[in-house]
Amino acid sequence: MAARALDGLRIVEFTDEVGSYCGRLLADLGADVIKVEPPDGGRQRHTPPFIDVLGENVDSSLAFWVHNTSKKSVVLDLNTGGGQETARRLALSADVVLEDYPVGYLVARGLGFEALRGFKPSLVYTSVTGFGQTGPHSGYAYSDIVGQAMGGIMTLAGEMADPPNMIYGNQANISASIHAAQGTLIAVLHADATGEGQLVDVSAQEALSMNQETAMQTWDLQKRNRVRTGSVGLLPFPIPGSGVVKCLDGFVLLFVIAPAGKDFPELIAWMQERGMAEDLGQEPYASICANLNMTLLTRVTGDPTAAASIVPSFAHIQEVIERFFATLTAKDAYEQGQGRQLLVGVVSTPRDLANNTQLRERNWFVTLPAGNATIEFPGGPYRLSETPVAIGRPPNLGEHTNEILASLR
Amino acid sequence: MSKLPLEGIRVADFSWFGAGPIAGNTLSVFGAEVIRVESEAKIDGLRRGHPFAMNGDGSFKSGFNVSGYFNNFNASKLSMQLNLNTEKGQEIGLRMIEKSDIFLTNFTPRVVEKWNLGYEKLRAVNPRIIAAYAPMQGMEGPHRDFLGFGAVLTPVTGLSEMSGFPERGPIGIGTNYPDYVVNPGHTVTAILAALRYRNRTGIGQMVELPQIESVVNALGTAVADQLANGHTQTRTGNRNPMAAPHGAFRCADDPESVGSPDRWVAIACNGDAQWRTLCGLLGHEDAANDVRFGSHAARRQNEDALESLIGGWTRERKAEEVMAIVQSAGIPCGVVQNAQDILDRDQHMRERGYYQYIDHPETGRAAYDGPAARLSETPGYFRGGAPLLGEHTMDVCERVIGLSMDEIADLLAEGVLV
Repeated sequence: MAARALDGLRIVEFTDEVGSYCGRLLADLGADVIKVEPPDGGRQRHTPPFIDVLGENVDSSLAFWVHNTSKKSVVLDLNTGGGQETARRLALSADVVLEDYPVGYLVARGLGFEALRGFKPSLVYTSVTGFGQTGPHSGYAYSDIVGQAMGGIMTLAGEMADPPNMIYGNQANISASIHAAQGTLIAVLHADATGEGQLVDVSAQEALSMNQETAMQTWDLQKRNRVRTGSVGLLPFPIPGSGVVKCLDGFVLLFVIAPAGKDFPELIAWMQERGMAEDLGQEPYASICANLNMTLLTRVTGDPTAAASIVPSFAHIQEVIERFFATLTAKDAYEQGQGRQLLVGVVSTPRDLANNTQLRERNWFVTLPAGNATIEFPGGPYRLSETPVAIGRPPNLGEHTNEILASLR
Repeated sequence: MSKLPLEGIRVADFSWFGAGPIAGNTLSVFGAEVIRVESEAKIDGLRRGHPFAMNGDGSFKSGFNVSGYFNNFNASKLSMQLNLNTEKGQEIGLRMIEKSDIFLTNFTPRVVEKWNLGYEKLRAVNPRIIAAYAPMQGMEGPHRDFLGFGAVLTPVTGLSEMSGFPERGPIGIGTNYPDYVVNPGHTVTAILAALRYRNRTGIGQMVELPQIESVVNALGTAVADQLANGHTQTRTGNRNPMAAPHGAFRCADDPESVGSPDRWVAIACNGDAQWRTLCGLLGHEDAANDVRFGSHAARRQNEDALESLIGGWTRERKAEEVMAIVQSAGIPCGVVQNAQDILDRDQHMRERGYYQYIDHPETGRAAYDGPAARLSETPGYFRGGAPLLGEHTMDVCERVIGLSMDEIADLLAEGVLV
């Protein structure tokens, strides 16, 4: 068996939705991650969808699976003195404690950072919560959508006519967990070198901040707010060869004018080969298409005369482009367009991703046992040449209780 | 200040745009010496990207050193100018990598090969190097040379298909989201794990982060559901199967909100008890008895009506007021904040001091994203703002690579250090 990057690192986690992806990342890298769960399991174990072949139960939630691979599970009732005492002994056997309970919950049960570090000064204790351990909102109730709202990313997503959009996939929890994984490992390196442990405090609201892209700096430097601009994005007006267009069976995103790859004439050449360029080879369209790039657009936005002679043709050019893409499958548009070095991105559905040429060719998906059957499963975020990631089946609720408790005796 | 955990670690940062430089940024804030290798021959597009700092008269400052987009991702780094399109430039680059612990790039494999920066080349000069490659599609495979950046990655990885309202097309999520936390954060996680392994064994390695794999892995249950069950999910707006109501609701306009006065709160109501409490808090106890909303299943079934009902309750109230009232009962609720709120009006963010304000010779004092992991004993901090383009070329050539002043003068004359 190959060596693992985090061999020998023991983590005891008290997490549900917010911090469990952090534990999963570290577990897949080889840490021994023991998840302490309440008797009925956390909320994640009850969240759909479930794995069909296993039926609907606490061990079959895919929401749990994708955030809890490679871990062990111990059931302890932290509302009993005995449960707390066992949890304390277990936590003190670890190098790292990872938790995402509301602020104060574990402190009240003798499992807070200060209490544990008194017994083990080298302990790294990572708390992942909605708003962090301090500050006037530290006691606020949290949910992923509330994190996305308060963290400044919802205000940037969606059409102005609609409510601001949440990003799919509990991304506030994901961002918080990813920051927690980085912070935990930095603290572990420090503890390895000095014997000094510490608290790693992660607020989901802060963890999302960098995802505001340029909104924070735009306010700081220019006192302007970025607002949600929907399908137009950051372009000043719709520009040919940009935006989402419909194909036979789905959509692709075009960004031909971006300063990467081939320019607009390559798109026109492709359309001509297919006999779909219509009148774009004739004036006034031909000379616009020959020169449509960022330089021209910059000129157009600053020069009303140039704009008046060029912009009115944009709608027609885009319509011809849309008629061309409507004859292609999304996959062909993506792969053939990229083959010509045009910036085309397929709007992948989950089915497209399961069949994605690149992911399949590189054997990204893994196979995990599910009861007596097996299922395919996403294959992890990175590849390490010496210490590969290994993704193991998530634990059933309490699967390792006896084994772990016996080891504490 | 106590010694930072990554002091003594040197990072050869050959990355550009967002996902790569942010990874270097995190290593820098915790003490690593990060050398950004840049060239005017292939300038980082973010140095030319909005938002720019402004002059007193309201005009934008110009040049390569005044972009808030670039500066925020490169605080405390050293900037070295090096033209990797020249043979000598590649040689100097390799000598710098020889003196480094970590190598970082997010260029495509085609460019990595052109510049002779493949892992085998690096390992030959520095077997202990941890070499991280984060191209969009990975270093191998039929799509490895596909073009793209965050704007294209968002649809390709399923985020566009899965986000937003079902009545709309897949319009995207407003930003190049994967560039800022998911990809750089995964990259740093892998680098740090590899660093711990090297500390224990002396063995370096290659870390590959195909951005498509990194993002799809963090894409909720959608792909797992497809693989395990053959169920093809699509977007469901702001709803969630575990909570109802669950969404963003319009509040009273706020004329002081710059750019757009519309204000919203997000509410996530879990279970019947919270629902009854919410009705009372917002002054509509009677709604708790409405059979259309009497259970979670009923609220899910009548969600359109539920959402218009609540939108009616919130529309006349200030968003901050709704948040305070609803939070007082422990129900998750938060204002849909913009950057103005987060930097200036959010008392909680201010008290926690997340943003670090740093003086910069060209932009003046500016806000930088601080580390989102707050370490109690070794808190990360920036020793300075973003470097000016090429600000440390001489320093790196002399101190790190060990070139003489004569050699440096020759390289300057030959156009290698540009």
